[in-house]
Amino acid sequence: MATLSLQHIDKIYDNNVQAVFDFNLDVKDGELIVLVGPSGCGKSTTLRMVAGLEDISAGRLYLDGKDITTTPAKDRDMAMVFQNYALYGHMTVYENMAFSLTMRKENPNVIHKKVLAAAEILGLTNQLNKKPAQLSGGQRQRVAMGRSIVRNPKVFLFDEPLSNLDAKLRGATRREILLLHKRLGATMLYVTHDQTEALTLADRIVCMSMGYVQQVGTPLELYDSPANIFVAGFIGLPPMNFYDVTVGNGVLTGEGFKVSLTPEEQDTLKAYAGKTIVLGVRPEDVGEGPDVPVTVSTNENLGMNTLVHGHIGQSKAASAKISAKLKGWCDYKTGDTVTFSFKRKHFFDKETTNAIRKGE
Amino acid sequence: MTMEERTVKRDRMRYIKNSLAANLALLGILFDVLYFVKIYQSDVGTYYYTILIGISIVYNLVFLLAVFLASEGVKNYKAGYTWLLAAIGIGQIARIFIIPARAHAATTLVNGESVPVMGDKTFLYVVILLVLSAVCLLASAAVNFIRCRELAEHMKTVPPPSTGT
Repeated sequence: MATLSLQHIDKIYDNNVQAVFDFNLDVKDGELIVLVGPSGCGKSTTLRMVAGLEDISAGRLYLDGKDITTTPAKDRDMAMVFQNYALYGHMTVYENMAFSLTMRKENPNVIHKKVLAAAEILGLTNQLNKKPAQLSGGQRQRVAMGRSIVRNPKVFLFDEPLSNLDAKLRGATRREILLLHKRLGATMLYVTHDQTEALTLADRIVCMSMGYVQQVGTPLELYDSPANIFVAGFIGLPPMNFYDVTVGNGVLTGEGFKVSLTPEEQDTLKAYAGKTIVLGVRPEDVGEGPDVPVTVSTNENLGMNTLVHGHIGQSKAASAKISAKLKGWCDYKTGDTVTFSFKRKHFFDKETTNAIRKGE
Repeated sequence: MTMEERTVKRDRMRYIKNSLAANLALLGILFDVLYFVKIYQSDVGTYYYTILIGISIVYNLVFLLAVFLASEGVKNYKAGYTWLLAAIGIGQIARIFIIPARAHAATTLVNGESVPVMGDKTFLYVVILLVLSAVCLLASAAVNFIRCRELAEHMKTVPPPSTGT
């Protein structure tokens, strides 16, 4: 397989709009990297630059140590799977999968063996004589993946491949991609705006916003130790709650609540004494307790969990909103007053929005 | 070709259409179209403006439909169309003796002079077209026959598909 290195990559369009700023990433052999971020953050542009479908304005791109910055897409030995499958409607599944190899004038018997092997991996053996219109969305996406597999490329590129699928199928196909990655051990770059896909699939996640890389790390690192407010708010569902708080002597004081700090947290925040910082709390770290009075607005039972949305105190301000993911089945009514505590806290510098970590 | 290569080649027929046979049949149609365009363009139509020309027009329409359907059939390795194509191919040879040969042998008076209804060049041209059409149809039938038999034999060695996707 292959290693991929993106060094100081910029993308500036002809109209001087810059879509990607100083993108740096080293992808290890066999690694599955997920580029995640909201629409317009530059993740697809980055993928298209890697594929060779967009010119790289500045920076260098290396594949297995070889500079491929200006190499045409057809010579990069990469295969891309698109959101809309890009299958030929008049061809059968077999013909679609064999198409790229046929165009390269490979031996038909070799093509046949490769197509059957890919179909076996993807569970498409019984569908080979069907046309795309006769397949479900998930099967079509598998055909698109099969078309990539038969080429045995050095790098697989996925551009939001599951976006056209319904939720159930998306989950199933996501697991198939994960199994495929384990089976092939291939280097993969995967673009999505769905954080669930990112967290479940990735060996490492690249979180992007406004063309900048916000954080690169394992799913756990991004979830547990977000680098800044953007990452903290983007990763996790429901998103993290944020509050402006003032650091006091062993306590944080926010609008309508006070929470105490552990000695370790005090140590982390000693440079911020008396200052206002941003407190981040994940909904799953909110539990019933004595610290924060909350007026319930909605109560959503999900079976194993209950999502409780409300406002701190009687405030209706957006900054006082709170979401809590409580274990079990709860039956709070709109207008009920409950008190919560924060089990785990994240701290962010209000000016830089970066995470405040111990020793920094 | 090794035994394995031959097996893979046969196995490919499960997924690859019989394009050669289908395209030969379509080529047969093309030659027939050129034939009847030439026939109806010439004076033969005027000379034979009888039920014979009417029948030939109807036959051409039936021919076009039947061969087109057969080309679709053989594309999917339907063995039954072999015989239809073979019969129509032989029919194309027989057609030489129905209108072209008669028109070539017959004469008509032009300005008091006796001239053949169909000249030598035109006769040769239409005969070649009908022969080419016949060859294409018979070749299509032969290719389909051989491939259908190979596929049928190969399918006996292939395990039945599982019921899952």
